[in-house]
Amino acid sequence: MDRRKFLKNSALASSLFFVPDFVKAFEAVASERLGYKRLVIVQLAGGNDGLNTIIPHNNDLYYNARPKLAITKDIIKLNDDLGFHPSLSPLRGLFDNGELSIINNVGYPNPVRSHFRSMDIWQTASSSDEYLQSGWLGRYLDQYGKQPYNAIEIDEKLSLAMKGDHFNGIATNDFRVLYNSAKDPYFKSVLSHYNDTHLSEHNLGYLYQTMIEAKSSANYIFENTDVKTSQETYPQNAFAKQLKNVAQFINSGLDTKVFYTSLGGFDTHANQNNKQTKLLSEYAGSVSAFVSDLKRNDTFKDTLILTFSEFGRRVKQNAANGTDHGTANNVFVIGKNLKKAGFYNNLASLSDLDANGDIKYTTDFRSIYATILSKWMGVSADGIIPNKQEQLNFI
Amino acid sequence: MTQQQLQHLYWRAGFGMHPKSNTIISKQRTSVVEVLFESSKAFTPLHIDLSYLDGIKPVDLKSFPELAREINQKGTKKILEFNIAWVKRLVNPSELLRERMTLFWANHFVCRERNPLYAERYNNTLRYFALGDFRDFVKAISKEAAMLKYLNGKQNRKAKPNENFARELMELFTLGEGQYSEKDIKECARAFTGYSHDFEGDFVYKENRHDNNSKLFFNSIGNYDGDDIIDIILKNKQCAAFISDKIYRHFVNPKPNKKHIAAMADVFFKDYNIENLMRFVFLSDWFYDDDNIGSKIKSPIEYLVGMANTVPVVFEKEKDLIKIQKLLGQTLLNPPNVAGWKGDKAWIDANTIMIRLKLPSVILNNSVIDSGQNDQFKKKFMQKYKGKLPFKTLPNWTAFLENFETVATGDLQDYILQGTINKGTADYLKTLSKMSKREYCVQLMSLPEYQMC
Repeated sequence: MDRRKFLKNSALASSLFFVPDFVKAFEAVASERLGYKRLVIVQLAGGNDGLNTIIPHNNDLYYNARPKLAITKDIIKLNDDLGFHPSLSPLRGLFDNGELSIINNVGYPNPVRSHFRSMDIWQTASSSDEYLQSGWLGRYLDQYGKQPYNAIEIDEKLSLAMKGDHFNGIATNDFRVLYNSAKDPYFKSVLSHYNDTHLSEHNLGYLYQTMIEAKSSANYIFENTDVKTSQETYPQNAFAKQLKNVAQFINSGLDTKVFYTSLGGFDTHANQNNKQTKLLSEYAGSVSAFVSDLKRNDTFKDTLILTFSEFGRRVKQNAANGTDHGTANNVFVIGKNLKKAGFYNNLASLSDLDANGDIKYTTDFRSIYATILSKWMGVSADGIIPNKQEQLNFI
Repeated sequence: MTQQQLQHLYWRAGFGMHPKSNTIISKQRTSVVEVLFESSKAFTPLHIDLSYLDGIKPVDLKSFPELAREINQKGTKKILEFNIAWVKRLVNPSELLRERMTLFWANHFVCRERNPLYAERYNNTLRYFALGDFRDFVKAISKEAAMLKYLNGKQNRKAKPNENFARELMELFTLGEGQYSEKDIKECARAFTGYSHDFEGDFVYKENRHDNNSKLFFNSIGNYDGDDIIDIILKNKQCAAFISDKIYRHFVNPKPNKKHIAAMADVFFKDYNIENLMRFVFLSDWFYDDDNIGSKIKSPIEYLVGMANTVPVVFEKEKDLIKIQKLLGQTLLNPPNVAGWKGDKAWIDANTIMIRLKLPSVILNNSVIDSGQNDQFKKKFMQKYKGKLPFKTLPNWTAFLENFETVATGDLQDYILQGTINKGTADYLKTLSKMSKREYCVQLMSLPEYQMC
């Protein structure tokens, strides 16, 4: 056999004959669609101060608890009681159009005030005394996912929320880099020889599994993403870049149901006002550009954006003009044809606080998840959200 | 000790080893382990040039906003410089085990500080106590300027206590979650009121901000200050158990073994001496169990420093060392939050696995992994386009060949990889030509198995 022929045959062999069955099975289901409704998660990490985000501008208790921290100027009043922080002005249009629903006092029983634990609770949809190893979106993928790219996190690493018991989403900051790494012929040879007996439970098995998933997902995303740049002008910051990426994927029609993005830095124990003003303005400016980008491409109607933070902050300010970790907080839901836009419910009482001086929750965050799963994603929340949850009426 | 056990010890107490490592004089476990401790007795603080801060006073920064801005910008650069100095120290440590422990404690007493003076001090405190007395260690950490800033200790005042440090002290630094009540946190915070620091970063106790009333903490009442609180916490054996568990999962196996951890806690609870605890671990038979060898997924720093130990490499642009840390998901001095990096499987996702598999060839071999197919062309091509690679490096393959002189190319996998090799992969490795020790080394480093240690 001459060299050229040999090469051709060996290439053919490695791509068809030696490829283990599970790799083939992986490639085969690629085109099955999951439906077209998409969910975009925005995580405000660090515990955003909800009271200075949606401001009770008519409430003396608020001003008394925060002599130096209360927002007094340029509040964007939305009704007699509540108004936006000035930085949220880019979202005014969405509010007026009925494309934003604000759910107040969202939390859970026996709240935990640790960032990591509370973030884990929000991401896994567990109770505060329950430790789950998988995330709620991960468990959705366990049941309905076919490929890691069905859920994409725009980050260097994957959040617990996106990790299922058997299946993970994919995290990438730059899908081109991922693609270029994955196509090396040496990796192809290694994978063609891989056998997974006895290894699936072991860390090494996890590495191989991740390698296989990375390779097929990198191919898919690279080949299916429309590279023409967005016509929309986004603000210049890292969070805006994440949303711009998400818009690019959505507008290219990728088979991705869930996108996960994150904006951090909300842990404002000291000198809160400057920091939160900057962060909320990054948030609102980016989300507003993102929504226009989707509208321009007629994909907004099939996209729901959920914004949450792991907890709100204490009603009383501290001595450093900041706030300590609190509990219940507001959640933003953005989408077209919301059933109940504007304020979904009233802000809880600022006089009836818990023993730590924090707001008592009135809506369990897991009922929001359950509602999104059944009314938006069109699946049952059973097996995804651990306990039976009330269905809400915002969508 | 077998070669594999020796490598295992050096992967956990250091960053791997090569056959010519000259620190090893005996193969007796006790003397090998003793060498590790002996050679880490000394303390060599890590310093960068911070002379630009000489003579600057707080009042200058207040009066000259432009100077303040300049100092700030310089500070950001200096933090990067310190990061690079730290990585280089890890590659060429004067005290190997001490450096290894320092890295561990940096992910235990997690702190992020942007002032290079405070960051440097903090880092050297970690280094100083790395193998010392845990009680003194916790007390020193509670008084560090960087920590007082990071967890708002300096804002913790009698009139308005700030609970941030109090909570993390118990949740993350000593006892673990659920071992205390919300009431304990409030009382603990009161005891730490009045802690502050001066411009130089020295601890200052502000009597007038301290709450001098009695506190009820863990069922005992007294007019406690911060040190008293730490003493009370350490009376609880749960603290010894919590630290032992963390050390076990980091140094032995990410899957905890209750029996071995309980034995460690017994040793640690006696005197809270870190060196004694580590000696107990490294001398235990179970430390060398097959199940523990190669059971750990390397952290990005372990991976990177380990690679440089095998093939010495110089980055033309030192800043690329930071770029790589970012890509791999662990930038020293910049932890994601006060819980630090989660480690183990959390290091690996579809993105990071591909970067890890590709990186050795990129920084050591012009991006070529010999795949036995038409590689001459590819090698020439990549040689020509060397300048287009993301990182410009000077790998020292001569040093590699000298260090591995005694190892036959066909045996190289036993030195480069730790633990089990997947059966199919082992079969594939047999088919490789192994004409060149260098190419085979890169092939081995480009495997999922290389991620384990």
